[in-house]
Amino acid sequence: MTAESVIQVRNLSKVYRDFWGRKKVQALNSLSLDVRKGEVFGLLGPNGSGKTTTLKLLLGLLFPTEGEVTVLGEPAHDVGKNERIGYLPEESYLYRFLNADETLDFYGKLFDMPAAQRKERRDALIKQVGLENARRRQLKEYSKGMTRRIGLAQALINNPELVLLDEPTSGLDPLGTRDMKDMILKLREEGKTVVMCSHLLADVQDVCDRIAILYAGELKVIGNVSELLQSNEETQLLTSTLKDDAVKEIEEVLKKHGAQLKNVSHPTTTLEELFLKTVKESRERPGRRFAPGEAPGQDKSGAV
Amino acid sequence: MDYESQPYHVTAALVEWLLVIGAAALIALFVGGVVALFLAGRRAPALVFAALKRGFSDLTSLSVRRIGALARLTIQESLSRRTLLVLFVFVSLFAAGNLFLQSPGQDMPAKPFVSFVMTSIRWVLIPVALLLSCWGLPADIKSRSLHTVVTKPVHRSEIVIGRMLGYSLLTSFILFVVALLGLIWIQRVVPERSKPQLTARVPVYCDLEDFFFLDRNGQTGKGLNVGDMWEHRGFIEGQTKSRAVWIFEGVDESYLNDEGELRMEYSFEAFRSHKGRIDEGVRFRLHLVNEEKGLDVPYPQRGAGLEVQEFSGERAARKDQEKPIIDIPRELSRTVGLDEDGSKVDLFDDLVEDGKLRIELSCEDDGQYIGAANTDLFIRLADKPFAVGYFKAIFGLWLMVVLVCIIGTTASCFLKGPVATLLTFGLVILGHPMRSYMENQLQQLDEKGRVLGGGMLEACYRLVTQMNVQSPLPENDATRVIQYLDTHIFNGLKIAEFIIPNFKHFDMTVFVANGFDVPWMDAGAAIVPAILTVLGYLIPCVILGYFSLQLRELEAK
Repeated sequence: MTAESVIQVRNLSKVYRDFWGRKKVQALNSLSLDVRKGEVFGLLGPNGSGKTTTLKLLLGLLFPTEGEVTVLGEPAHDVGKNERIGYLPEESYLYRFLNADETLDFYGKLFDMPAAQRKERRDALIKQVGLENARRRQLKEYSKGMTRRIGLAQALINNPELVLLDEPTSGLDPLGTRDMKDMILKLREEGKTVVMCSHLLADVQDVCDRIAILYAGELKVIGNVSELLQSNEETQLLTSTLKDDAVKEIEEVLKKHGAQLKNVSHPTTTLEELFLKTVKESRERPGRRFAPGEAPGQDKSGAV
Repeated sequence: MDYESQPYHVTAALVEWLLVIGAAALIALFVGGVVALFLAGRRAPALVFAALKRGFSDLTSLSVRRIGALARLTIQESLSRRTLLVLFVFVSLFAAGNLFLQSPGQDMPAKPFVSFVMTSIRWVLIPVALLLSCWGLPADIKSRSLHTVVTKPVHRSEIVIGRMLGYSLLTSFILFVVALLGLIWIQRVVPERSKPQLTARVPVYCDLEDFFFLDRNGQTGKGLNVGDMWEHRGFIEGQTKSRAVWIFEGVDESYLNDEGELRMEYSFEAFRSHKGRIDEGVRFRLHLVNEEKGLDVPYPQRGAGLEVQEFSGERAARKDQEKPIIDIPRELSRTVGLDEDGSKVDLFDDLVEDGKLRIELSCEDDGQYIGAANTDLFIRLADKPFAVGYFKAIFGLWLMVVLVCIIGTTASCFLKGPVATLLTFGLVILGHPMRSYMENQLQQLDEKGRVLGGGMLEACYRLVTQMNVQSPLPENDATRVIQYLDTHIFNGLKIAEFIIPNFKHFDMTVFVANGFDVPWMDAGAAIVPAILTVLGYLIPCVILGYFSLQLRELEAK
């Protein structure tokens, strides 16, 4: 294991077989990758590409057909490594008959935490995920977003070094998604390593330092997000609003340097940003309505 | 009460357990090794060794807090399935019993009420324990809730033990509540005149090997068979030297009651070969014998002897007048009819030799017969309250329910809910109602080790060839192969007999329903064998459950 590697995967393959041992599907094929300490690593890919299988192999829930997996310096099947890991599963697999307090207390006990420490962590996490008002309600009464929040809280109960998140923003509304992404970034700031798998590309782009793209169980692309997305064929300039004359002059200058002005437009914000600003505006100024074509944060000329 | 007291040998049971466990472990190791060799080739020995090492580490480094948390979760999960509704089933059963149970003309009018409570508890609580323990873990795996547990630092052994503990605690609570309700119900519904039967007599039996018969010439032999007897009961002929002999061991002065008498109780049977004096019972007398000192002291010392009635109705009718109890005073006359100033003997100084008291039964009526078994005469120590025997029997039931939880949880570690239920149910049925049948069937080997009457394959052969069961099989290679295979299938079943739990150890109803205390040690139902049986299954079940969870992909549905 390299000095900074938290996860090391070498030639990992996984074949699912039927009852008679016949091959059903090759979920992973000779996957090799490293996850470095303190980074947010994203596993991307379409449905069935092997993202969740990879996570489950890292957790020891599945056994590899071939290859090796080392997590925090230990083999994946080692129970001891789980002391330093937090895991948020894809769906809400928590016990629906427990309430939030009981859930976190239960998982705290599984880490052999004493009562005082459990209470401290429980209170802090419930506040962190914003479930103070629902802590006594059974999880079966929770909405999907609330369930994801308590799921994240249980994943963090042991203050883990490594957090594995399976589709963390799945089913969340934009507000919840933003909160989740903020929490992931906060985990990175705290020095924790985060591995998340998702097929929501915008979310991954927002929070991940590095990504790996899987397709049909094979690693296709791996690298820094900024490097992978950067286009060296073009240059983008962002200025304050220009008049037509100024644009023409710039075009002349570009021609003189052998370049070509391809597009002149006003940049657009993302739909997520628009939604969040609308909600924020509505909270601050209840009752206000926007005219058709108007959006919060725009001046009268329509510029953002 | 037809009851056969047999000694329970703890050391022999322990040795047998070690042999079975050792053999099972070797077989499991061999099968595991072969599978590993098939899957991993040359890495197999290292993998098997690593799995064993990890298993030892996981099984010896358990966290009480984690096990407690998992047990509590199990209880909460079961409660969320409305398990406590089973209490209403008991209330309904007791209400129905109140309406329909009656006991006119029985020897023991309290018996049906006590039996009803014990039977109800057993056959309602066992299915509850069975269903809970067989379905919990598979449901957890299917819903993937277990993923959030096994991705924490939880050993698989802790999951198995936590589950077993949780189910056991929950069913214990239900059992405790129902047992209390049952006791109150019994006290209320048993008729006032039968209340004295609600007691816990403490018998001291002689060992089976210390009970024997003397024939009409006074020689050691067998009891006579009058056509109405079980294995260890025999009859003695009146006015001959024929006697039934009991040798009680460990008899000392602590056996005397408050009046300084040795209380004995009997339940002999009578058989008439002629009408005789039909208005009276068949008479008998006991003899306290010390062969070394040549003493033979009869009891009762005066009169023509005690009587025993031929039919149970007569016995029941006489119950109110005369109890089958003999209080033997410490000081006795040497022979019948001697004056009090004649020679006297002391029960302990003269008759008890090295703690052994020999008592012989003689029939006093010419041509009539008295029947006896080793449990038909016993020393009766001071009675205990009914609740003592009742709660000991409930403790036995509790152990039975715990064992069902242990087996059900273990089965659910490697089987899906319905299959685990079927397996556990099969073991319960084979271990309790069908145990005696199974044991009888598995004793039917001839002196050559062949199955008496033919085995499974021979039966198929006879069906196909339409051969009568009385006809001997033709001597050829095919029939020799059939008989060889039948014998080995039979031997396989005999081995399975050791694996199927003997639930008879736990059913102590017969004692409490007949007004007896539950014994601590006996080869049948008794407290110590029941505890050891549970422990004997707990250890291998935890190991089996652990490896079942450890070696399977919990993701797989």
